[in-house]
Amino acid sequence: MPTTPPALIAVPDTLDFGNPPSPSAPAGRRWQPQAAHWAALSIAGLLLLWWALTASGLIAPLFLPPPQAVLAKFGELLAGGYMDATLQQHLLASLQRMLLALLAAVVVGIPLGIVIGVFPLARHLLDPVIEFYRPLPPLAYLPLIVIWFGIGELSKVLLIFLAILAPVLIATAHGVTSVSQLRQQAALSLGASRWQLLRHVILPGALPEIITGVRIGLGAGWSTLVAAELIAATRGLGFMIQSAAQFLVTDVVVLGIIVIALVAFALELGLRRLQQRLTPWHGQHH
Amino acid sequence: MSLLQVDKLGVTYPGQSQPALHQVSLSLARDELLVALGPSGCGKSTLLGVLAGFIAPSQGRVLFAGQPVTAPGVERAVVFQHDALLPWLNVHDNVAFGLKLQGADAAARERIVADTLRLVGLADVAGKRTWQLSGGMRQRVGIARALASRSQVLLLDEPFGALDAFTREQMQQLLLRVWQQSQRGVFLITHDIEEALFLATELVLMSPGPGRIVQRLRPTFNQRYRAGEDVRAIKSDPEFIALRESLLHSLFRQGHEEAA
Repeated sequence: MPTTPPALIAVPDTLDFGNPPSPSAPAGRRWQPQAAHWAALSIAGLLLLWWALTASGLIAPLFLPPPQAVLAKFGELLAGGYMDATLQQHLLASLQRMLLALLAAVVVGIPLGIVIGVFPLARHLLDPVIEFYRPLPPLAYLPLIVIWFGIGELSKVLLIFLAILAPVLIATAHGVTSVSQLRQQAALSLGASRWQLLRHVILPGALPEIITGVRIGLGAGWSTLVAAELIAATRGLGFMIQSAAQFLVTDVVVLGIIVIALVAFALELGLRRLQQRLTPWHGQHH
Repeated sequence: MSLLQVDKLGVTYPGQSQPALHQVSLSLARDELLVALGPSGCGKSTLLGVLAGFIAPSQGRVLFAGQPVTAPGVERAVVFQHDALLPWLNVHDNVAFGLKLQGADAAARERIVADTLRLVGLADVAGKRTWQLSGGMRQRVGIARALASRSQVLLLDEPFGALDAFTREQMQQLLLRVWQQSQRGVFLITHDIEEALFLATELVLMSPGPGRIVQRLRPTFNQRYRAGEDVRAIKSDPEFIALRESLLHSLFRQGHEEAA
């Protein structure tokens, strides 16, 4: 009579290793912190540290004013202003310069980047020029710009434009050269002309990198704002910070820094969203 | 009448002393499915590149309908192993891409795209983005795109090389159906012996160092499949296995000679 051999190890019908419930399990789902929660925690921690340092008297308000003083100054500047302009007017002046410079950098940088990416000769010719000016601190060539273009709006926008241009140009050229050869060959075998190849394959393929270039460029632009507004400005966040620094009005300096950071971050978030919307395929397996 | 004619083709890449292709001659007619089989480095991708017009021959010539091939052209559509689809377009627009480039009118374009999508079994996913599809489905989109354009010859560069065994076999059957219905000449390169034997109406075995044709066969398994025989029955047929082993033996012998 056949008998079943005894199992060496008794195995229960169901095994429970204490695994966490699967994500689809309706009951017992645990709260998982999201990226936004961590970001909020980081900001709250920084604010708390700031408050604790100032409230304890470890740092004098001249060096670091308490958060509530900066908040009070915020209300004051919205209504009364500083150096003959409200905070909104300073912000508007800076935003106008930034957006004008950004627009110019996009209009010049993207087509030029495409030319550099498509024609090796253009790359050989322009590469030394770009690499010569790119690492220079804007403050180093600021005097030249003032001598050549005066102290008007043009010089301010030009300085910011130059800071944004290099990343946009380099990212566009790199985006163009790294578009898949197979995609280009397949398009050629489907009858694409050079122009069609550029319009329908190369440009859309390079778009993720182009937008990344604009994002990096915008960051570089903001970091040049204060230098640009050194040039005989009467309005602007950079001008406001410099003027306040001369008179040791530290709360206005801190407020200016926070406003720049917030506006820059808001623009960056907008660009990230634009990138996701325009190139949802980027980073996918395809 | 042959559509593609290759006469004593040779290709030597700049800076290389040994030719990538040497004295390769073949022809492809409208109703033929020509398969080039060989190991890596045997020049089969170079051969496809020359037929597509991506690579210029160093010796010999390639003619399409009697005219020399000097550049890529709509009559010779290419399908690559790793799909060269445009991820920013959906399936429908990818398939319509060639026709759009060629300036076909919208009504004709829609009709051709709908027919082609039905032929490759993709009518239900026309609105999907290509990166939302599986590897097998993406290759179908690639084949559909090549079919929908005004191509007369399809050049397939290891089209099923990245697919799992099951999907691969499904795609081979799909290709035979498409080839039969679309009346195009097909040139396919592969390193898979079974695939080559099953699909080919003519099979050329290539060898490296320099890349050349060392054997020509006219297998009949493609015909048997089209006559209604089951694919598994064909691939387990003693005749199929014997030919597969003989080709495998040739490939191994080449490998040994190469190593020596």
